[in-house]
Amino acid sequence: MITLSNIEKYYSNKGIKNYVLRHVTTQIHPGEFVSIMGPSGAGKSTLLNVLGMLEQPTYGKYEFMGEDVSLLKESKRIELYRHHIGFVFQAYHLIDEMTVAENIEAPLLYKKVGGAERKSRVADILDRFNIVAKKDLFPNQLSGGQQQLVGIARALVAQPSIILADEPTGNLQSTQALQIMDLFKKLNQEEGITIIQVTHSEVNATYGSRILHLLDGVIKEDEAVLT
Amino acid sequence: MFKLNLKIALRNLKRNFVISMINIGGLSIALAAFILIVLYVNYETSYDKHNPNYENIYIVGRDLKDFKTNFTPPPLAEIIEQNCPEVALVGKMTPSNLEFPLISDAGRIYIKNTMVMNFNAAKIFDLHPQGGLKQPQGEIERLYYLNEASMRTLFPNKKDSMPELVLMGGKTLGLTAPIQGKIVPNPHSNLQFDGVAIGNNLGVAEGFGFPNYYTYIQVKPGTDIKALEAKIDRLMKAGMIKEKIDMGSLKNERVFLDPLANLHLKPQAGNDTNYKVVMALFILSMLIVVIACINFTNLTIAQANKRAKEVGIKKVLGSYRQLLTMQFITEILIQCVLSMLLALMLAELFMPTFNNLFEVPLSLAAGAEELYWMLPLILLIVTFIAGVYPALILSGFKPALVLKGNFEAGLQTSWIRKGLLVVQFSIAVIFIAGILIVNRQVEYLHTEDTGFEANQVLVIKNQMMYNKPEVFATFRDKVMKINGVKSATVANVVPGGEQTGSNGYTVEGREALLDFIDVDYDYFETLGIKLKSGRTFSKEFKSDTLNAAIINETAAAKYGLLDPVGKTIRGCNIDYKIIGVIKDFKSQGFEAAVQPTIYAMKNPCGNPRLSIMLKVDAAQMSAVLAALKAQWSGINRLDGEDFRYDFLDDLYGRLFKKQEQLKAVFFTASMLTVFIAVLGLFAFAKIMTSNRRKEIAVRKVLGASDFQVLKLLNSSFLWMLLIANVLAWPLVYLLARTWLDTFAYRVELSVVPFALAGVISLLLAVITVSLQATKAVQANPAAVLKHE
Ligand SMILES: Nc1ncnc2c1ncn2[C@@H]1O[C@H](COP(=O)(O)OP(=O)(O)O)[C@@H](O)[C@H]1O
Ligand SMILES: [Mg+2]
Repeated sequence: MITLSNIEKYYSNKGIKNYVLRHVTTQIHPGEFVSIMGPSGAGKSTLLNVLGMLEQPTYGKYEFMGEDVSLLKESKRIELYRHHIGFVFQAYHLIDEMTVAENIEAPLLYKKVGGAERKSRVADILDRFNIVAKKDLFPNQLSGGQQQLVGIARALVAQPSIILADEPTGNLQSTQALQIMDLFKKLNQEEGITIIQVTHSEVNATYGSRILHLLDGVIKEDEAVLT
Repeated sequence: MFKLNLKIALRNLKRNFVISMINIGGLSIALAAFILIVLYVNYETSYDKHNPNYENIYIVGRDLKDFKTNFTPPPLAEIIEQNCPEVALVGKMTPSNLEFPLISDAGRIYIKNTMVMNFNAAKIFDLHPQGGLKQPQGEIERLYYLNEASMRTLFPNKKDSMPELVLMGGKTLGLTAPIQGKIVPNPHSNLQFDGVAIGNNLGVAEGFGFPNYYTYIQVKPGTDIKALEAKIDRLMKAGMIKEKIDMGSLKNERVFLDPLANLHLKPQAGNDTNYKVVMALFILSMLIVVIACINFTNLTIAQANKRAKEVGIKKVLGSYRQLLTMQFITEILIQCVLSMLLALMLAELFMPTFNNLFEVPLSLAAGAEELYWMLPLILLIVTFIAGVYPALILSGFKPALVLKGNFEAGLQTSWIRKGLLVVQFSIAVIFIAGILIVNRQVEYLHTEDTGFEANQVLVIKNQMMYNKPEVFATFRDKVMKINGVKSATVANVVPGGEQTGSNGYTVEGREALLDFIDVDYDYFETLGIKLKSGRTFSKEFKSDTLNAAIINETAAAKYGLLDPVGKTIRGCNIDYKIIGVIKDFKSQGFEAAVQPTIYAMKNPCGNPRLSIMLKVDAAQMSAVLAALKAQWSGINRLDGEDFRYDFLDDLYGRLFKKQEQLKAVFFTASMLTVFIAVLGLFAFAKIMTSNRRKEIAVRKVLGASDFQVLKLLNSSFLWMLLIANVLAWPLVYLLARTWLDTFAYRVELSVVPFALAGVISLLLAVITVSLQATKAVQANPAAVLKHE
């Protein structure tokens, strides 16, 4: 599904190149649940952003579903966002001016899903995540865990083939965090959704099938999780 | 999608209520001012536009080199009629300023402004008197019509449309005239009157030597005006040569055609000050809107931080940039629509005040036709100016940057916002300095020496011509018997904007055009005009009533005379002896320079002397008025029963009315602009300090004093203010120069208004910013940092 070959990324500051990613080469197959780990500043978020096509690598080749991302047109990239990629953020990033239901419905609007189907899909997912009672509340009326549930519901509602999550539980208490991880695992195993998450927690990482250890922009270790 | 975006827009409005209200409120105030002024400009520039032949009507004027006039001799109309087939109608009319009473059984009126016109003139001006426009019979018949108020006073119970007889000019005179009915002058026309007299032809006995008529022509569509102008010029000169009039000055004379569209604001025979004022107002109103737009843009961008996250998220959810741009433009459009609605309400609210000030009958309903297409257009333009830039900025945010957190939208756009703020400050400074300068000039008009004393001078409107000093002497004797009357005189005009005539006069072989004022004894004494050399008219010199003349300084300068007294000045077939030179006085106000003028007691070419002036002792004014009222018919038997008067200082004061109006408008416009600019600054400071709350808290934790933080917050604004002042000053200088140049007499520009504008703008800014900043500075840093 994803092929990275020799990805490099640096920021120039007064002529000095600060490398954030170096010689990153790896493959991620459909149905994998990958955790990216590493100390702060290692380049985890940058890697995830590259994977999510939010940032361009300086060198190297990135193929997403067989297509060279650097050659993708803007409109094609947006199509990928609409149909294949779901994002989950550490800071949840819900739209403050929209209710829970509206936040979840938003991607369907961009996907041009019809009104009736939108309603039923939103209702479905609210039901599945046990947040029906909260659907008319605004994000600031929810706890962090609830907000992240909504964030994940929003990422899922468009039925993406891959979810990119940057420290999805970084702001949560451990019990809430484990709930989210259970949810990810279930999505991965039951629906076959590919998941790539950034995490600091060893425990969270064990929910996945594979761990990439990143240090100073270099993949130091690529280990499979034993179950 | 649209519905959702609409919801978001409304929720955002609610969330940022204060800022939104400042945004919408500021814009609506500006738009209200704009609407009012557009209506006004439209009104001022469309005089007579209702006339179906608006485009084809011209007045025939004469350029006499020294000045231009619309007065033409009466035979001109006939020769145009006979020789110019391209002219459809030729009308002539003459204003009769003789004030006389009309008396019926029910009441009496004083009619002042009668327009005597021929039938074709009435047709050209599309007049519709009661019973329709009728052709008068024969050469002598005049059809009289009066305005509505007069008709109501004279014939309160009149139902039919039959002519009614009235007594004319006092009961003792026994003259009667039939009044055909009422006529309503369109207030939106150049042609204004209290009544009209329509005849078949006018001035039949007068030749080319009597330029006392307005000649209007209505040309056939498609006529070559330049060619017609030249043709009429030739006809006019041929006519004058035939009558052997003014042969010498003919080559300097030229006929011009001035379109009806120009007559109200920029007549060739007159000045275009009114036009300039109207245009200046229009520009002012646009500036106000621009300031409000800048506010809008600035505030929207300054709030971008709050919207950046939304943009980032929507983009990763699969939104196109165009979609987001549209969303923001729609949001701004909604705010603009709200502002427009509010503006219409404000305009309606302030319409009566505005109408009062400008003496116009504007209304939203009447202007609806123009506003109908104009308002949506303005709405679009304002939305475009205020909205497109922020929409592009907002929709352009990169999600990777925004979603990483600690993102400052301000950084990328700050120089543009600062630039806009500087522009806004500059405009505000222009207005502040403008107010100060306008105030100084208007003050000057009130306090500066006019060269004569208008106080305690009564002007009596009178219908008896006192052209002969011996006739006036009896009047003077009677009036001087009243205790408190210091002096009495009569003249053809009073100082206060009335135009007198002019004629060619020759001294030592040099000819020049002088204004003539026909006076009686004690004219200069009554008006307190100072003598420069020689003497004034005196009963001790018998010849004073025959051939003595007094000229003013400007006239002496015009002839280059160093010692004019004793010299001979020839005009109107009389050799006058100059007996004195008076100091110039500003009889026409401060805009026009003093004209070279000659004063004489005998002037066969002059105008009727109807304006009696009495200098009265201040303490006895009311007693004098009472006595005059009681004894009037005995003192001035031929004037009729009523004693009617004005105070000269009131009449003269009217010359400044326009400046007063201008000052009032300018003041209001400036206040609005400064207010809107301050509002903008206020909101801007509010957003800035809230964006910097964390920084402020950290600085305080690190040990900065409140004052140091306040200084820090103010300093960035002060720099902008300084630049704004430096940019504004040259502009103020240019604008003020241009305006002051419309005055012949004016104050000198000093640095004071500039410096003062700088200080005032500085104070306003510091107060506004500090009001916001103190709140942030006083916040507990621990609380702020915990929340971050
Ligand atoms: N826009 C940027 N400009 C310059 N340096 C950046 C930028 N974004 C990230 N970096 C740097 O790249 C490095 C990796 O950042 P990031 O991927 O966010 O690390 P992580 O998520 O592993 O903590 C950091 O040292 C950071 O300072
Ligand atoms: Mg990170």
